[in-house]
Amino acid sequence: MRSASMFSYNLSLAIQSFKRAPTLYFLIMLTLSIGVGVLCANLALVNSMASNPIPEKSDTLIHISMNTWPEDNPPDEQPLYILRYRDAMKISESGIGIRSAVFYASGVYARDAESKSMKRFDSAVRATTPGFFKLSNAPFAYGSAFEKSHGMEIVIGDELNQKIFAGENSVGKVLELDGELLTIVGVLKPWTLRPLFYHATDGHAFSLTDDIYAPLETAMDLNWSIHARSSSTDNYTHVAQTRDRDVYYLQAWLELPSSNDRQALQSYLDNYSKSLKVAGQHPLAIRNELHDVTEWLVVNKVVDHKILAFTLASILFLFVCVFNASSLLLSRFHAAKFEVGLRRALGASNRHMLMQGLTESVLLGLFTGIVSLLLSWLFLKLSVSFLPDLANIAILEPKVLLLGMLIALLTSVASALYPLYRANRYTISAELK
Amino acid sequence: MLKMNNISRIYQTDTIQTHALRDFSLNVKAGEFVAVTGPSGSGKSTFLNVAGLLDNFDRGQYELDGVSVQGLKDDELSRLRNEKIGFIFQNYNLIPDYSIFDNVDMPLRYRGFNARERKRRVEEALEKVGLASRLKYLPSQLSGGQQQRVAIARALAGEPKILLADEPTGNLDSLMARQVMEILHDLNKGGATIIMVTHDPDQAREVSRNVQVIDGQLADFRIYAPLERAEGNTEKTAVVSAEVADA
Amino acid sequence: MNINALLKSLLLRKFTTGLLILQLSITLGLLVNSVILALDTRAGIARDTGMDNENILIVSLNPTSGNYRDLDYYRSIVSEDLVKLKALTGVVNVSLANQLPISYRGNTANVYDLDDPDRARIDPYLQYVKIMMTNENLGNTLALALLEGRFLTKDDQRDFGSEGNGNVVITESLKKALYGEKSALGHETNRGHIVGVIKDILFNPTVPDDKQYGIFSNGIMEYIFRGSYYLLNVEPGQMSAVRKQVSATILKVQAERDIFKIFTMTEHMQSFYRDDKGLSELFLMLCGLMVFVTAISSYAYSQFHISRQKKYIGIRRALGARKKDILLYVLTENWLVYAIGCLLGIGMTLAFNILLSQYISLSKPDMMLFLLASAIIFVAGTLATLLPAIQTSNIPPVIATRTV
Repeated sequence: MRSASMFSYNLSLAIQSFKRAPTLYFLIMLTLSIGVGVLCANLALVNSMASNPIPEKSDTLIHISMNTWPEDNPPDEQPLYILRYRDAMKISESGIGIRSAVFYASGVYARDAESKSMKRFDSAVRATTPGFFKLSNAPFAYGSAFEKSHGMEIVIGDELNQKIFAGENSVGKVLELDGELLTIVGVLKPWTLRPLFYHATDGHAFSLTDDIYAPLETAMDLNWSIHARSSSTDNYTHVAQTRDRDVYYLQAWLELPSSNDRQALQSYLDNYSKSLKVAGQHPLAIRNELHDVTEWLVVNKVVDHKILAFTLASILFLFVCVFNASSLLLSRFHAAKFEVGLRRALGASNRHMLMQGLTESVLLGLFTGIVSLLLSWLFLKLSVSFLPDLANIAILEPKVLLLGMLIALLTSVASALYPLYRANRYTISAELK
Repeated sequence: MLKMNNISRIYQTDTIQTHALRDFSLNVKAGEFVAVTGPSGSGKSTFLNVAGLLDNFDRGQYELDGVSVQGLKDDELSRLRNEKIGFIFQNYNLIPDYSIFDNVDMPLRYRGFNARERKRRVEEALEKVGLASRLKYLPSQLSGGQQQRVAIARALAGEPKILLADEPTGNLDSLMARQVMEILHDLNKGGATIIMVTHDPDQAREVSRNVQVIDGQLADFRIYAPLERAEGNTEKTAVVSAEVADA
Repeated sequence: MNINALLKSLLLRKFTTGLLILQLSITLGLLVNSVILALDTRAGIARDTGMDNENILIVSLNPTSGNYRDLDYYRSIVSEDLVKLKALTGVVNVSLANQLPISYRGNTANVYDLDDPDRARIDPYLQYVKIMMTNENLGNTLALALLEGRFLTKDDQRDFGSEGNGNVVITESLKKALYGEKSALGHETNRGHIVGVIKDILFNPTVPDDKQYGIFSNGIMEYIFRGSYYLLNVEPGQMSAVRKQVSATILKVQAERDIFKIFTMTEHMQSFYRDDKGLSELFLMLCGLMVFVTAISSYAYSQFHISRQKKYIGIRRALGARKKDILLYVLTENWLVYAIGCLLGIGMTLAFNILLSQYISLSKPDMMLFLLASAIIFVAGTLATLLPAIQTSNIPPVIATRTV
């Protein structure tokens, strides 16, 4: 009871103190919340970029990079993250792991085949084997995945379904894609993968999920062009020709029963490479690499270094703000030292005074927190206006908001520590003489 | 040296008008040692502030060392204070962050002397008060009496025409007060003009002239005979120097 | 002014002074590096591209209907587009290409002379030569400067299923990489027979100036489905008029096309540096905030200090200091703090430069910039302390005789 009344007493003292020097406290709050706001906006970006898009199985989804280049001048020093059709198929058919996904990115123009409107929508395509959907936990709203890599069937994303069918169940409808008719067998729910782990390369890590998912073989037969990196030693004029040529453009993922099964996969790939080498099709050293989701995102440096650099600067800036608040508080406490002396003389212990000071700074921290959350939203908008590519990741998650609040409290208390220590060292007699 | 004629100083608040000095006239000649006494609130502090050009006055004429001070600009007043007046305050008013040397040196810097001249004057002044060995000390490392002697040295270093002392022994115990008074008397004997505000009637009696301020006016006018105990004083000064030397 | 005594009194309040000095040096460090970043970006944007940037208009587009899967149809539509665009008033030349210069990625391939295939092992950039599939009008459209031989002609044009390699034109730096100072004309590369050498254009701003390797072939009609960029050379002063008509002109030829963007080469260059520019603007914004906060600190610092010094200022006044002496005293004290802050700021600038260089590319700091930034700090700081300093100089000397 006593501590409760002490607390409310301290609270009322803190409010009195704010009222007595409103400009000063306003400045302290302003500088601290600008500092916290800038940092928080950056942390929101870093948080989006560094988050795990598929935590439930990020350690059992394995991306495959291989070294099967047929000549002795490979385009990369590293094993290629893009595979040749026959290598990818070999892995996919090996039966290793629970399921696999082999795909490439493409793009088509889509319209409802029955619609009178000739308006076509620019649609991002994932030409993939059917294992993709379960592997990536793609959420279905209607219908289901296609079951074979052949067939004129597609799955579409929520956004395209909204655009063309106003979000209705469009399973069974037919889309005209670059002059070909394909039937919708599944519609996904709104699906956010941040980062887009299955295509973290080529600067696509923060692209949205695709609009259309089409069977791999169908897309190749329809000559849907390759919209991501491809490297080749052979020329081709039609994507279907790549099946038996040395064109590297497919990405492959495997889902393993557990992360312990990586070794088996590694041996399988190495044996495969050896057999190519023996057959004289592969002159280079045998180097195949496996990465789980987290490792793959690190390898691809999905956390933008520009933002990291700016985060570094904003941390320094926060320090400057704390220093500033600290010196402002010092002058405030100095001005109030007579009162401190008086209270001490009337029986307040050092602890009391400390509690009073801390109550004040916690209260200040709360105000700072609220203002800094508003400011971080503002700075985030500002960041996006300066760096438009960030639009897809400029998201203030509750986690980040909480962190911002915590930082605000922490900085507010930290700024008050030294001034409080100083204030409590003023001798009673000196101030009351 | 100092001529005040019908000086009035009025403090005005919203409701009350206080005449701190009322038609106050005083003439101090060169070489005089004048004690100003009076009860608290009588106006003696105001007199000292006006005399020291720290505060302005509302009516009357004031002439210091032949210079009429009415209508002088702030900068000119600063220069007069710096060149003609040496202040000795009750609470010494040394700058705590500064060493003894830097304290005495400070007004000389405002005078614009070069480093050598300043050093010479500082050392000479500290020599006079027996503190030449403490140049590097901070004021807090000295006793009250020693601090007041530093303040006297600071007042002397500028070779002022007149010394203004405001309760110079007010914060000191009797022994230290004695030492400070000895120094002032010595200075007076050496030709310095001194005006001292004090509440100690004994001190007032020792000087060549005592004036009393009551209700902002000169109340009484007594002339004491010049000091008779000159020889005894010299002895005591010697003792002071000895004490300083081994401290 | 007694600097020694000043320094000593600063030492007596090391905490507040230390904080301010730290703030000043951090602010300075950030300021200098942000300005470097901004200057780097500006220098990048101002770089010579080797092209007539202002007068080149680019249209990026894609067909949207399945009819274009018939490449003869595709080709006929494109040919008509080019004719109609050329007919617009103010259009001097029209061409098309599979990709644009000034880009990080793109269509690249290895290039080597058939007689010297191993050279690519020495120079890895030869693995990533930009492959420009275009037509004979590109030279005039981009105002490319011919150094040797000739540009591509109508006769060099490739058709579907053309056999063997055709004629190619290469950039100067590619020529130097393959043949040194000797003439390249008549040599046979894996990508074709060299008929001309042009002065470099900026293919990829992130690689060195002497690695701007590019090879031009008159092959876009063969790979017509790759011709997603139309390039127009426009008469000076006609740009905005032409720009307005481009979309309608193309869609009038055939409407089933998606025109993404119409932009000048200058804008293309700017958009290449958009992120760098955005980042440098973010940094400058942070600097502004930092200078603001530091100015508040300087103000608070001198205000705090003065409130404690009031009495001593009064004493100084009593002992003969003029108002301007006090003003100078207060300012000197602050200048001393700024000077120390700036000195420490040199270290901070270097440290920050090294730290930032881990994440982004950044030039080394230079002295002029540093001095300039110091000047900003001094001016901002002086402005912030001026008010308290003036207030201080107004402290009346009579304070000295008051016993507190």
